[in-house]
Amino acid sequence: MPSITLRGIKKSYGKVVAADGLELEVENGEYLCLLGPTGAGKTTALRIIAGLTKPDSGQVLLDVRDVTHLEPEERNAVLLSQRYSLFPTMTVAENILFGPSIRKVPELDSRKTLVELLDLVRLTKRADSYPRELSGGMQQRNALARALATNPDVLLLDEPLRALDARLRIDLRHELRSLAKALGLTVIHVTHDQEEAMVMADRIAVIRNGRIVQIGTPREVFDDPVSPFVANFVGQSNFFVGNILCSRDGRMTTVEDDKGHVVFARSSEIPVDSKVVVAIKVGNTRVVKKSDAFLTGAVERALFEGRVVHLDVNAGDLGRYSVKLPASRRDQVAVGDEVGLNWEIPKASVFPYPEGGLEEELRVD
Amino acid sequence: MPEVELVNIAKRFGKVTASADINLKVADGEYVTILGPSGCGKTTLIRMIAGLIEPSEGKVFIAGKDMTGVPIEERDIGYVFQNIALFPHLTALGNVSFGPIVKDMPEEEVKAVPQRYLEMVKLLDRMGMFPDELSGGEQQKVSLARALASGAKLLLLDEPLSALDARVRMDLRYELRRITKDLGLTVIHVTHDQEEAMTVSDRIVLMRNGRIVESNTPEALYLSPQNLFTANFIGETNLLEGVVKEVLPDRSLVELRDGTVVEAKPSKFRRGDAVVLSIRPERVHPANEGLGSVIIKITYMGTYIRITVESDSEDTMLFDVSTSEDRVYSVGDRVNLIWSKRSGILYPRPPEGVEEAIKLE
Repeated sequence: MPSITLRGIKKSYGKVVAADGLELEVENGEYLCLLGPTGAGKTTALRIIAGLTKPDSGQVLLDVRDVTHLEPEERNAVLLSQRYSLFPTMTVAENILFGPSIRKVPELDSRKTLVELLDLVRLTKRADSYPRELSGGMQQRNALARALATNPDVLLLDEPLRALDARLRIDLRHELRSLAKALGLTVIHVTHDQEEAMVMADRIAVIRNGRIVQIGTPREVFDDPVSPFVANFVGQSNFFVGNILCSRDGRMTTVEDDKGHVVFARSSEIPVDSKVVVAIKVGNTRVVKKSDAFLTGAVERALFEGRVVHLDVNAGDLGRYSVKLPASRRDQVAVGDEVGLNWEIPKASVFPYPEGGLEEELRVD
Repeated sequence: MPEVELVNIAKRFGKVTASADINLKVADGEYVTILGPSGCGKTTLIRMIAGLIEPSEGKVFIAGKDMTGVPIEERDIGYVFQNIALFPHLTALGNVSFGPIVKDMPEEEVKAVPQRYLEMVKLLDRMGMFPDELSGGEQQKVSLARALASGAKLLLLDEPLSALDARVRMDLRYELRRITKDLGLTVIHVTHDQEEAMTVSDRIVLMRNGRIVESNTPEALYLSPQNLFTANFIGETNLLEGVVKEVLPDRSLVELRDGTVVEAKPSKFRRGDAVVLSIRPERVHPANEGLGSVIIKITYMGTYIRITVESDSEDTMLFDVSTSEDRVYSVGDRVNLIWSKRSGILYPRPPEGVEEAIKLE
């Protein structure tokens, strides 16, 4: 039984459409990441579930209960905002106890809950500190504890790690997910960071222009994107535009451009001669001997990035292709070298050429 | 020739020391990032270079001239700072054109230069909008375009990409490096994002608690960090605690908690020294023998699979396998892990403990 269901949710602000018929089901206990660029409607979706924004039309169900017209406190869902909104004049403990529902329970019970929550978010020693005395990570945990004080079934997280340092964020991903799992919460976590979504989510819902464009496990969304946009937003992609030459016995697709370059991709249902876009993840593009190459080009620059070296390869009239070369192979390629590029054929996807053009399709802002 | 030199810089706010013992030279045309966790003093430092804050001690030289005490307007720098806003009464185009106009650039450049940088940040279609009509991320892009168009040879950028989405940030950092290199600019760029620093810099200056921890090329900091904090901050790493068993000319042998003996680079340690071995996840491989471990988590990263294990030596470790590999891994499986002795680096075990030594905040 899904814990959260959205049916045909629409919401506009003047001409701006923030939700354009949102359909979503989140399973009980699932950790779902709602991933999309700024302005895609991520925060609006969360606020509608929390009851902080009224949809123009459509239904919100929590379990089987239609909560569309209920007040926020009548729902068992709580939203943790990006800015945490801690009260600066209250201590850590006071901020936690300020939660609306905890104020209604007897003093003794609320004390007990407080002790448990402080322990859960590792702030017991800082119970009497003020927010300004806390590090960014501690403030985040304080806000999380306050949200959990209402004993929700559904936790709605709006960019919960955004305010933190990049390196710290990586460490806290695991911690936040584990905590939610340990408490058996159903979570929707909004983020614009595809790597965060890949690492944390049971399933990722990719949202754009107020619609869910794809939903699936991180693996499905990464390996089988439904559009060039998803291919490029979830892990960067290289693109090749051409026409389908042949689509042989469902094993692979051969695509040729007007200059006679030919590349190969996984099989597709798109008819021969159609104009298509082949998308191949930057991380799946390989530097190979010219005899094995689909394309060739000159290495324009090489940037050491740690586990990989980022290469920009100028493939002449085909434009620029990026490659992530394992750092262990960095001595084999130098700037100025002519190199060959190819990929495992099943790792390249084929899409009909987008109506508005490729650049418009890929726009992330 | 806008090289920058900081000599014995220190800054105190009341009793709080924001920076101390800062000595740094940035060469003409060099791209340097100042990297570190929140509160490490990196913003204070770049503000001293800009002339927005005066140092308590020490001197700032720009192009060989002592600039200590000279206000920002007279330093000829392009900048992006956190709370220096765009001119609210000018459009995006007006803001970006400001430098070229004030500098009396030829008319065709006053037209062409701002458009070039607005195009780079993909804001050509919004150039007629005023700052309050733009989102935070768009405003930041306009500031960046304004700094690039200013004609200054020295750019000071304090978290210039922080308000942008991860995906946009990724694209823009490659562009930023490309353009500043094409123009031969000297850049000092403050960030808390180690990936961003790795991608854009010739050299990274890593700071912690107001001091410079280490300064080197991205490659050197990643491959041979001089201390434990750097090893953990610049990219993820596995840290194993142990005791030196033997040091040979070509390798060091370290005994872990469970008695397993593992290898690392040759070192100056002696038998019995308490050490921490750092080994990057991508350098650890499954094998028939090696450090025994149990898989506790498997994460699909798209182009590789990251596996988390609990080793017999009671260390949590990460290692990466290719998505094309035939072997199927499952949580609960036992695996043995090995690595090349050249990839393991030893550090003295810090007296304050490993956790404290690598703490991020």
